[in-house]
Amino acid sequence: MASEEAKEYVLPPEVLEETMKASEELWKPVRKIKFRIYKYNPRKDYAPYWEEHELEVSRGMTVLDALLIIKGEADHSLGLRYSCRMGLCGSCAMMINGKQMLACQTRVLEAAGSGDVVELRPLDNFPVERDLAADFTSFFEKHRAVKPWIIRNDDVELNNPTGPYKQTVDEYARYYQFTDCIKCGACLSACPTAATDYEYLGPQALAQAYRYIVDTRDNGLDVRISVVDTEHGCWRCHFAASCSDVCPRGVDPAQGIQLLKKLLIKRKFGFKPHKPAEALPAKVKAEKKG
Amino acid sequence: MEAESEFKEYYAKNMRGISGWFKARVYTIERWLYAAHRITGILIVLFVLAHFYSTGWHPGLWWDALLGIIVTFHTANGIRLILAELGFAVGKPLLIKKPSQRPVSIEGVQRYVVVFALVLFVVLAAIWAYYALVVQPMMG
Repeated sequence: MASEEAKEYVLPPEVLEETMKASEELWKPVRKIKFRIYKYNPRKDYAPYWEEHELEVSRGMTVLDALLIIKGEADHSLGLRYSCRMGLCGSCAMMINGKQMLACQTRVLEAAGSGDVVELRPLDNFPVERDLAADFTSFFEKHRAVKPWIIRNDDVELNNPTGPYKQTVDEYARYYQFTDCIKCGACLSACPTAATDYEYLGPQALAQAYRYIVDTRDNGLDVRISVVDTEHGCWRCHFAASCSDVCPRGVDPAQGIQLLKKLLIKRKFGFKPHKPAEALPAKVKAEKKG
Repeated sequence: MEAESEFKEYYAKNMRGISGWFKARVYTIERWLYAAHRITGILIVLFVLAHFYSTGWHPGLWWDALLGIIVTFHTANGIRLILAELGFAVGKPLLIKKPSQRPVSIEGVQRYVVVFALVLFVVLAAIWAYYALVVQPMMG
């Protein structure tokens, strides 16, 4: 029985052949590209230097694929960070031809364009750990500074939950976009303000602050305001919008920061953002079960 | 030895510094406007310092027109920034995103505001230049 069901899903031979042909076409080497790679070990080297490698690339090959080939066959000492290889972990963000991109989501031919050189550097405005890997310590400290978790005052409900917190779709839509952040650091690296202000919280942390402040389950506006409503907080942003331009997940941090400013101005005029959401009474669940 | 450690620290920190303000080539038009806003802002401060020293001082015919370009750009772009920072032009957060979603805050209503700001800049600069180059010399 199982084998009969399985037979139904086998592709017809002509379709299979076509798919195989398309796949071969995708991975067939088409052009020779020169990779210019930044090499620097702050513990050992006096100054950074560039290393060049030439590689035959195919249409489907990503920059990360190429780097792993170079690391495996030409330069074993090449330092880079990567993990999921599908744009979900945010580890492999780097400067590809001068712009912040994820190495695993950028095809080599797309990055090279009409030229034949791909230049790879570690993220700007981040300390260099080694070669293409950047040090994210201060980035995560800034993220932690805005308290990126739900803050509530009802300890009784928190310790003995009676049900889920009530939230409508409209309320959910206010912050959903910002939950997609993968903390790749591309936004902070692209920010011109962060290039000169080392203490600036940055687009990632400020967008996350907005995400938690407008969440109806949260009641932590007064706690976060001392962090975001400061000289190095949201007022340092002057809307160059490069953070949103380079974000690989479409999070749009620039929008979050401007809406955060709007919220802070409204608060100065006495506006209160929202009442903390109530827990749905347990009896509703009991009725549904019954 | 100290110079060497400073040299190493410079590369290890990898901060772009002031050159980061003007690195606009690979980004959107908003980044160019940001850079131009910075430059015009600094130039206005320099002019105001000279103006404080002697309120009657004016740079001269063509320089007056240039001053007009600097001031009117800063004004027009400033209006765009006030609208964006008060949350009027940046749109709403999305619940559903397309696979290659471009940011709403850049490519939504805000782009119309950019066009409005640039048109306003050209109109104001033209009026200023007409006054500086034609009307003022006639008045002596």
